[in-house]
Amino acid sequence: MADLTSSEERLRHQLGLLYTDVNAELRRRGPNGHRNGRRARRLRMPAPVPDVIEKVKAELPLLALQAVGSLSLRLRELTGRDVIDLATMMAIVQFISQQVELANRGAAMQVDDFGFDREWTESLLPIFRWIYRNYWRVDTTGVENVPAIGRALLVSNHAGVLPWDGAMIKTALLEEPADPRHARALIAQFFFGLPYLSWFLRRTGQTVGHPDDSIRLLERDQLVLVFPEGVKGTGKPWRERYRLRRFGRGGFVQVAIQARAPIVPISVVGSEEIYPMLGDVGPVAKLIGFPYFPITPLFPWLGLLGTLPLPSKWRIQFHEPVRTDLMGVEAADDQNQVMTVSDQVRDTIQQGLYENLKLRRSTWL
Amino acid sequence: MEAVYGLDIEDPKVALDRTEFVHADTRHSLLTKLVRGLGVDTVVHCAVLTESRTPSRTVHETNVIGTMNLLAACAGAGSPVRRVVVKSSVAVYGCEPFAPSYARESYAEHSQVREFLANDLREMEQLVSDFQVRNGSTAVTVLRLGRRLGFQVPTPLGEYFLLTRVPSFHGFDPRIQLLHDEDAVEALYRAAAADHPGVYNVAGDGVLLLSQAIQLAGRGRLPVLFPYWRWIARAELRATGFEMPAPLADFLAYGCVVDTGALEREFGWRPPRSTRDTLVEFLGRGAAEPPTSGPQEYELSQYLQRRRRLAAGRR
Repeated sequence: MADLTSSEERLRHQLGLLYTDVNAELRRRGPNGHRNGRRARRLRMPAPVPDVIEKVKAELPLLALQAVGSLSLRLRELTGRDVIDLATMMAIVQFISQQVELANRGAAMQVDDFGFDREWTESLLPIFRWIYRNYWRVDTTGVENVPAIGRALLVSNHAGVLPWDGAMIKTALLEEPADPRHARALIAQFFFGLPYLSWFLRRTGQTVGHPDDSIRLLERDQLVLVFPEGVKGTGKPWRERYRLRRFGRGGFVQVAIQARAPIVPISVVGSEEIYPMLGDVGPVAKLIGFPYFPITPLFPWLGLLGTLPLPSKWRIQFHEPVRTDLMGVEAADDQNQVMTVSDQVRDTIQQGLYENLKLRRSTWL
Repeated sequence: MEAVYGLDIEDPKVALDRTEFVHADTRHSLLTKLVRGLGVDTVVHCAVLTESRTPSRTVHETNVIGTMNLLAACAGAGSPVRRVVVKSSVAVYGCEPFAPSYARESYAEHSQVREFLANDLREMEQLVSDFQVRNGSTAVTVLRLGRRLGFQVPTPLGEYFLLTRVPSFHGFDPRIQLLHDEDAVEALYRAAAADHPGVYNVAGDGVLLLSQAIQLAGRGRLPVLFPYWRWIARAELRATGFEMPAPLADFLAYGCVVDTGALEREFGWRPPRSTRDTLVEFLGRGAAEPPTSGPQEYELSQYLQRRRRLAAGRR
């Protein structure tokens, strides 16, 4: 250490000499030495950065943690119970430091062909786990119907203005099974034109709702999550909740048959109540290029606060797979068979919705 | 191969070994005479502007009208031409947020992008496919080359990565795909050396996020507001002191990645250098060396004069 400082000192000294020489030379040449007549500026040696600042910067998180710790102790003495949970505090600090670390990866960051950053996505899991367990208190059943290895097409009902249902299905597949898996959701195309959201969706493994994309993912033995209702499902009014819309044109069945993947139908209950959509202002939606502009009890009256989803009680059920993987690729061209399977999947999900609505004792508890 | 003839309006920048150089543009009367007179059996059409800052009118004249003239010269009953290779670009897809993650060749018909380069390339490829229909015995290959950085003279995209502070749009981090110059040349060569009729994407393996690419370039990122309209995007880039052609402004917002499966199946080959390799090599190559130095220039001009006299004598 002493060696280092002495060599640093030496360097600094030499630099100082150099600066003196340059300044002397500049003075000797005088103001006329410059072509454009401007006064030559004197070079000044930069002052060394005070070590204290660096030291404080390094120790600030620790100091803050100590302060919070002593505060929580004082509060416990005063009130007789835990006001600030230290474990939660630690988790938050750990989360932030991990985020900082990941943000500084630079070019070493690894993403797959679709722009999916697995490391970063998994680092966000604590947030989504909290939402999954504590906010919406999701009860998940039938998770054993999702294959532990190999491809599958997950097909779900879609509701709730923003694709929170997709986020919760993805969280369920990371939390519930013995072997956690990342599901890759196909998202409505218009989301990919939006700043920040498009960035977030790509980075967490989502991709554009295009048959080419889903087949490509399935061929790599991934779980692909689709919402055949599309924006017709998310933008439906409150009075039509839990009534499935048209399932596209059966394209998802063709994809599953072509890629030899089984279809796992999913029923999600609870997503309809997070943003009760009372109205839809078509002209505004058209103006900003959205498929709908929702009016909910909170939005747009409360502005950004109105985009907070309501804390309904959720249930997710994974149904038994439909064996589209055993059908033979030529079945994809059989329109009759495709529509039959599409209806079968739709009925399974609708039935599952009714059953889970019965099982859920109340909307909010 | 008996002889190779090179056509350009400018003198070649490197010494050509086995190539007879002809000073010519894409006038129809001239091309017809050349094709029939020399008995050309393979035409490689590279006079297609895809990466430059050329004004849109010139691009249209060169890409559409030039190709039309060339194809007309190659067409007809007595034509000796058996194989035509046309250079195109992945710019034909345009860049849009809704495109599939890997655009296949058929996606060009569905692309919604209305922008001069994409329109011109689409029109040009239409002419090529019309030619193929009318001249069934001629094998026609269209190569949609990936975006290049320009190892000799940097393309606008190459210049972009060499900026001291690289501007990119807030809230967007597109995936990008590049093609090494030499791989582009090899693809053209392979298409010219054997019959591979059809349209093929050519691009390097793998993708990079734009942010990763900027990190690799080792220069600071300059965030600019997200683009809602193309002219705003370009104005923003211009405000940072960089003139970006319209097709590339879209590229920086949404990116464009193509599927090269068809190329691999048909050619049994794919560009050996990945997107990342290409960028790393480009950044590490140092300042671009001028194509010719002093004494060589004299040699080259002598050589060219000789060639031109020869060509004139032949005509």
